[in-house]
Amino acid sequence: MITLYDYELSGNCYKVRLLLQLLGIPFERKEIDFHPGHEHQSSWFLALNPLGQLPVIDDAGWILRDAQAILVYLAGRYDRTQRWCPREDAAGLATIVAWLSFADALSGSAGRARLHDTLFFAADIEECRRAAHRAFRVLDEHLWFAEQEGGDWICRGAAPTIADIACFPSVMLSEEGGISRLPYPAIRRWTERVKRLEGFVTMPGIF
Amino acid sequence: MDRWFAVARSEEVRQGHVFQSALFGQEMAVWRAQSGGVNAWENRCPHRGVRLSIGEQIGDELRCRYHGWRFATGTGQCTYMPAHPTQKPGAALCATVYRSSERYGYVWASLQPREDAPLLPLPEPGTTLRGVYVDAPAESVGERLLLGYGLDGERRLCVRRLDPYLLIGEPRSVRSTGDASADAMEAATSEAAAAPVLFLLQPLDSRATVIHACIAAAISAAERLAVLRAHNTRLLAIRAAVEQAP
Repeated sequence: MITLYDYELSGNCYKVRLLLQLLGIPFERKEIDFHPGHEHQSSWFLALNPLGQLPVIDDAGWILRDAQAILVYLAGRYDRTQRWCPREDAAGLATIVAWLSFADALSGSAGRARLHDTLFFAADIEECRRAAHRAFRVLDEHLWFAEQEGGDWICRGAAPTIADIACFPSVMLSEEGGISRLPYPAIRRWTERVKRLEGFVTMPGIF
Repeated sequence: MDRWFAVARSEEVRQGHVFQSALFGQEMAVWRAQSGGVNAWENRCPHRGVRLSIGEQIGDELRCRYHGWRFATGTGQCTYMPAHPTQKPGAALCATVYRSSERYGYVWASLQPREDAPLLPLPEPGTTLRGVYVDAPAESVGERLLLGYGLDGERRLCVRRLDPYLLIGEPRSVRSTGDASADAMEAATSEAAAAPVLFLLQPLDSRATVIHACIAAAISAAERLAVLRAHNTRLLAIRAAVEQAP
């Protein structure tokens, strides 16, 4: 059984919960008191992940940190269809990884703005919002032209991939950081396609 | 303002989706009923003020995500309140409806619900392009467009204003360079770039504008994507120039 070191309000933890449930993988949650307890900075948690970041999984004693890496692992290890992270061609896999990096950067912009506004974290809030809007413009243009070619997802192909799961939470929670999605109609349509996936689950702020 | 504005591309107002738009700071929920009609409503449920753009289109009704109140296409009349299933909602329980219309590949709305402004007399465009959102007032966007449309090294369209929110870009009268092969090459390579382009400016508020652009010419299916991308590149160059202006 996989143990997820989890925080309910974290977008990065949510994306792992989302993929676990889309894949139908049983798991147990260990709730970490991220706020206000800063348990992710406690000595016992730092022994688990010296970076002091959530989420972390423990799969039968094997520890893995980093939300994006966990998505890669879960898709590779547990997705029998191998559609969530197809690995057969180098270009396709590299494209997924590029969007995983994009998702990680979104955590630092849109995600950081939200932490600033909701949990009072220090941030250069205006720069966080500007960076998020720059990234959203890139994503909206990408998705708009994908739609023109019949594509529903971030990466080419008929099915969603972990790139969609990785980017989804920071996008959906952006308004909690003061980042409107009105200028991004293709992003808004894509978020609704993600929400219609069989097995989709919610979190506070994403419904 | 007694005037129609394009508030969404028709193609992007689809069943099952509520398009979020705005005009002069008024947010709008633009949606298409199952029977095909389009609606442009104030983006606010009259019950508790939640955005209707997070709601759902169900048949010919829009359902608010918060308490499930349903509102009818056309009138905006509330038809059902789940907490009071036997109670007929009063006539005053209505979404705020703006006048809307659909033509030329766009959904049009007017903030003046009672005024009977005529729709702009535009030529039927062949292809609507990707709307580009610019962080600048419509006036600045219009002024930048007047400097010409096209990338460096391209034959640029000469842009003139038809009104403050409507501009047209047309090829300058073609003058021969005296070199027949150069003339022929230019005619062939820039045909799509040289078709007249209409620019419909949608002021989201006093600081942001959408450029809806459409080509007044039919584009073949084979060319379509390349043409869309080429114009998108030109429009993004306009945006970058406007946003970088002091």
